Amino acid sequence: MSLESTCSSSNKLALTFGSLLIRIWLGTRALQTGIEKYAGSKTSESLVTIDGTPNEYGLTAAGAAKQYGMEFYHGVPQALMSKFQAEPLMLKWALPLYDKILGPMLILLGITILLGIASRCSLFILGLLYISLTWGLILIKQDEGVSWLGIHMILVVMGLALAEYNRFAILRKW
Amino acid sequence: MTPSDSFINRRDFLTKTLATAGAGLVLGAPSILRAANTAEGDQLKIALVGMGKQGRVLFESMSNIPGLHFQAVCDIWDYNLKSGVAKVRALQGHTPKGYADIDEMLASEKGLDAAIISTPDFWHAPHTVQCLAAGLHVYCEKMMSNTIEGARSMVHAAEKSGKLCQIGHQRRSNPRYRFVHDQLINGNKICGQIVNMNAQWNRAVNSSQDISFNKKLTIKDDILNKYGYADMNHFMNWRAFRALSGGPISDLGAHQIDIFNWFMGGPPKSVFASGGNDYFTKREHFDNVMAIFDYDTPQGGARAFYQVLTTTSSGGGFWESFMGTQGNIKISEIASNTKIYREDSAPSWDTLVERGILNKGTAAAPPPPSADAVASYASAPAEIFELPGGFNKPAHQPHLENFFAAVRGKGKLTCDARHAFESEAPIFWVNPSALQRQPIQFTAEHLSV
Repeated sequence: MSLESTCSSSNKLALTFGSLLIRIWLGTRALQTGIEKYAGSKTSESLVTIDGTPNEYGLTAAGAAKQYGMEFYHGVPQALMSKFQAEPLMLKWALPLYDKILGPMLILLGITILLGIASRCSLFILGLLYISLTWGLILIKQDEGVSWLGIHMILVVMGLALAEYNRFAILRKW
Repeated sequence: MTPSDSFINRRDFLTKTLATAGAGLVLGAPSILRAANTAEGDQLKIALVGMGKQGRVLFESMSNIPGLHFQAVCDIWDYNLKSGVAKVRALQGHTPKGYADIDEMLASEKGLDAAIISTPDFWHAPHTVQCLAAGLHVYCEKMMSNTIEGARSMVHAAEKSGKLCQIGHQRRSNPRYRFVHDQLINGNKICGQIVNMNAQWNRAVNSSQDISFNKKLTIKDDILNKYGYADMNHFMNWRAFRALSGGPISDLGAHQIDIFNWFMGGPPKSVFASGGNDYFTKREHFDNVMAIFDYDTPQGGARAFYQVLTTTSSGGGFWESFMGTQGNIKISEIASNTKIYREDSAPSWDTLVERGILNKGTAAAPPPPSADAVASYASAPAEIFELPGGFNKPAHQPHLENFFAAVRGKGKLTCDARHAFESEAPIFWVNPSALQRQPIQFTAEHLSV
């Protein structure tokens, strides 16, 4: 018995909204996480003002402003990278490759999920990506992160389960 | 050397700038910025005299200052000389002439504007006097000399020559120190009456060991003897010998005792010192020295305690502290060691914070007295403040910038030879006081030029 056959038309609308919300959530999550991998901060020095005017001594204060740019790219955070490198089960050749593709991959999947381009395949690949991240976090005993990704996986599976109600999609095939 | 050797012509400049810009894309911005230094016109032609450790520190600071052309390098040690020449070549793309002897350098080099002297202390006075007499402006490392007579001769030579002579008490140009002097101690008098000063430079045993050297690089005895050294150890570790240096109180203490005298507006009236060879028992100079200076100020009497220990880094390294009835300023060349404390009974400093003169401190205030202390004996904890800013340059750069600005007629020296002498003169009497185990009451004879 299909889900659709048991649902009233009003419930179908709810399931369609549910599918859309999960797509928006997972798509936004993936897209912004990917973009944040290009984020960094640039410090700047400016003269300290005393009585409202720049001081004559040359005293400066440093300010940091968040910026985005290719030069800031970091797929795997540096703090985790060194831990991964120390893991005997980690494939040393694969780590730099993974580091390079993680950000672009998240951005690409975020876009395809948000726009509804091959949603099922996109969600499946996103699920695989989260599994890969989970494996890395298991290696370095980051149990909280594993749990966190587990929640993501539940949402991915829910998105796939509701694929039948997927509307507002550019490419519904796949 | 012809003038065309000294300058980079327009074509060279363009070629080098383009090449450097390309390299800069790979290596980062400083290469591009340094290329701009080579523009013709307003360049000062510099001789580097002494390219040992301190000479290299000064050179690194000067490499950030535009408009300098390093024309000659002088050092009696071939190792330092070659290294210095290479550093200059790497910076400005031009190979400076290298000299082992300063007489030869001054006789050969034409058009020099200034000399940067960072030779051992006992050579400061002869080299400075010589360069001033040759018509050069001089930046000379502190201590002015290993003898007070030598320091006097530098003042006389500077004033006779009409050339500028800056002494390397670099804190005098440090924006944080200048701000504390002008705005906090004198302008807003946040300390109230300064009743005591403390300062220290405590250095670990490991950092105070004799400097070793590669035997293959040993200088020939006749050259060493010509320049006043008995042997290579004498040359490498000149700071440990009485004939060549004033020892730790001069080498490290001079910077900080200078701050006492600068901030108090004049010299002390006496010194009482004690010292010993507690760990480095074979050294001529004391390894640990303590000195108490007495000051008369318009506000009343004050004492300053200074210690230099080359046997332990305990006590937080190096800093100076000015303790007053209303507040305490602890300042150091290391910005993070600087803190300002308001006595609980002092008027509020909120207005100073609103004006931007002070920042509220971020460090936690000391906890109130615990049960194991007698509350009635304890003072209320002081409120912590910080300076409103710092500066992001090598420590010596502002002082060198001040020197070159003055050479260009765009500023006044912050530590000319006369002012440096007035501040250094009491330091010359610390070791005698410690040796005699007697206080010395200063007279004009002790302190005057």
